[in-house]
Amino acid sequence: MEKRWLLRVGPPIVALSALGLVAGASAGAVEERWEPPDCGGGGNRTAVVALRPAPRAPNEIRGESWFRLDPVLDATGTLAGQRLEIGVHGRAVRRMALPPESFGAGPYGGIVLVGSDDGRRSVLRAMDASAGCAALVARERSVIRRAVLDPAGTTVYEFRVDRASRADLGVWRRPLGGGPAKRVLAPLGDDDRFGRTFSTELSWSVEGDRLAVAQCGQTACRVRLLEPATGRVRMIARPDLGELVGVTADRVVTYAACRGIPCPILSTDADGLTEVVAPTAGIARLMRTDDGPRLVHEVVTGERVELHVVDPAGDRPPVEIAGPGDGLRLAPDSARGAAGLRVPEGWALLAPDARPGASAVLVRIADGTAVSIPEVTR
Amino acid sequence: MIRRRRVATIAVVLGLGLAVPVAGHSPDPFFNGPLYAQNQELRFRWKAGEAPPAAMQTAIKLGAADANATRNSRAAVFIPDANGLSWINYGLNVACGVNGLACFSRAGAPKSFTMSFRENGHRYDWGVLHWCEMSGYPNGCFEARNSALDEFGHVEILHHHVNFADESDFLDAVVQTIQRVKPEPGYNAHAFGRCDVATLQRKYDMPTMAWKYSTCLDLSTELTLTAPAWVPTGGTITFSANLKVADLPEYERLGANPVSGRAITLQRRFAGGAWLPVGQLSPATADGTYAYSATGQTATAEWRAVFAKPAAEGLRGDTSAVLTVAVLSCGPGPCPQAPNPTTAR
Repeated sequence: MEKRWLLRVGPPIVALSALGLVAGASAGAVEERWEPPDCGGGGNRTAVVALRPAPRAPNEIRGESWFRLDPVLDATGTLAGQRLEIGVHGRAVRRMALPPESFGAGPYGGIVLVGSDDGRRSVLRAMDASAGCAALVARERSVIRRAVLDPAGTTVYEFRVDRASRADLGVWRRPLGGGPAKRVLAPLGDDDRFGRTFSTELSWSVEGDRLAVAQCGQTACRVRLLEPATGRVRMIARPDLGELVGVTADRVVTYAACRGIPCPILSTDADGLTEVVAPTAGIARLMRTDDGPRLVHEVVTGERVELHVVDPAGDRPPVEIAGPGDGLRLAPDSARGAAGLRVPEGWALLAPDARPGASAVLVRIADGTAVSIPEVTR
Repeated sequence: MIRRRRVATIAVVLGLGLAVPVAGHSPDPFFNGPLYAQNQELRFRWKAGEAPPAAMQTAIKLGAADANATRNSRAAVFIPDANGLSWINYGLNVACGVNGLACFSRAGAPKSFTMSFRENGHRYDWGVLHWCEMSGYPNGCFEARNSALDEFGHVEILHHHVNFADESDFLDAVVQTIQRVKPEPGYNAHAFGRCDVATLQRKYDMPTMAWKYSTCLDLSTELTLTAPAWVPTGGTITFSANLKVADLPEYERLGANPVSGRAITLQRRFAGGAWLPVGQLSPATADGTYAYSATGQTATAEWRAVFAKPAAEGLRGDTSAVLTVAVLSCGPGPCPQAPNPTTAR
């Protein structure tokens, strides 16, 4: 057995502000009850904003869009709505009151997709956090539960359910600039092993060539992979698999069907063979790095959080990076975290409660170097 | 070379530390990770700013009490305490994945745990979450007390029970992949099921050695019987029996446990005759030991002890080996032809 390469870095945390790279903290500059004006300019303008290049280094994170969605409870503790916070790093934060059935996705470049349903219609908007405006993408009588933008920045994929019966209506696509939608994936059939569908999440493979549609019962999940270019669909339906972490090459990376942590993370190849790539993981993300896709996951022991980096194919030794501690957690994707902030490739975001907020830290996956970005949000 | 862990069975895929394959209706699978100490008190509080509403707090505390009362083992106990190290939250920053009703973290084991509950009114694909306790118990609601019991079971170490395909054994476990809604059977179960208890017993051991083993277990037992090799005519044979669980690694903490307070029958057979009951052995002082005195013996006979499989617990029966006790006509003092004392199993 090959000796496991262990990289244990006591990461030097470097404050960007100390490097003179960040200015203008946004805390306190909050615009409450914001209603975005129409951006104008049609889908082409939105697509340009959506294709804004990702930051290449932590010092380029200034100006990046972010969002966060939090439930608002009434006096009885029942969900009464959701509060959307959307902003650009280093500038004002805007807040919107949304109905209970709402979601956010992204950011895609400078765009955050925001869906909201008032009980009669679903509205999907592409919000430009930088310009402070929104472009209408869709208005539907059925309920748009989730949506993502494709890597080309031109097409939106939506998952819908029937308003009355809540039956699965499948996945639809339409131009980002609006227009008629076409169904590209049929509704998922019933399967007693999974029970009723609690959640459907849409995401893209690391390579950007396949749309992953992960549909979960209370605990176990089914994943369908759609190749938009060919229409080909691959499905994995095994009740021992839980929430999707990500897809890369022939690998589908999921949690086991745990409903808690620590939980094993599993990698299933095209032949359906599964291996445990992380036996006791906390929050995890599948990320693109210079060395190829890597699974970054927490190992939580008491108050101590460590980040481990794993090859999703299991072909290379895992790397352990000492976590920065101080209550920071790895931020998951926007579906699990109901929040999003684009970070440079090869860096992972750690934040309080695993969501963008004050005292966030970027950790370089390659060597564990940590950079503090206290001004990033709120 | 990196060790590859190709897997074929559900047990291994789940990363479970099972010694035996998981099949339908087995004891619950369990998570890898540390156990809490036996009977450890796990004190929990409501997370600041994210405390459940009063009705949910009541339900969760009832779920904790249900767990404590029905663990039938030395598993940890859960105690509400405003200064507790563990916390439970509701609605905000729920750490569950995208789909759960409630979830847990035992990353803090063996010191602490966390637990989270979705807010009443949460929107899922299928519709709106109604906790029974917050919505007046309409059909279609989920009972938070039952959900809490499930989560406390997870915290202990339990993974979801593997049901038969037709789920005919659903009521054998509360810790289930799919929690049922009112009015489906089991939606309001307030006690661990026997297959939950089976794993708790294996992991944490029995409260006492006289406690009943879960009927979801099927443990081999070993019964031994000892007696003197001979007694004089008219004398008394003093029998001692010892009953214990077989010492097998897959029985974990239950292996080699003495088994007290059970019914053990002493049987006798004369040459050419049939086995007939003589009496019940009485519990002796030490755990798992039993005794019987057979007075006025006039003839050599074979003896054995029988532990019949109990109807209401998960122990297999066992019969000791046969031993012969000679009845000899001798005067005072030992007989010169007396055999050595006998032990049989």
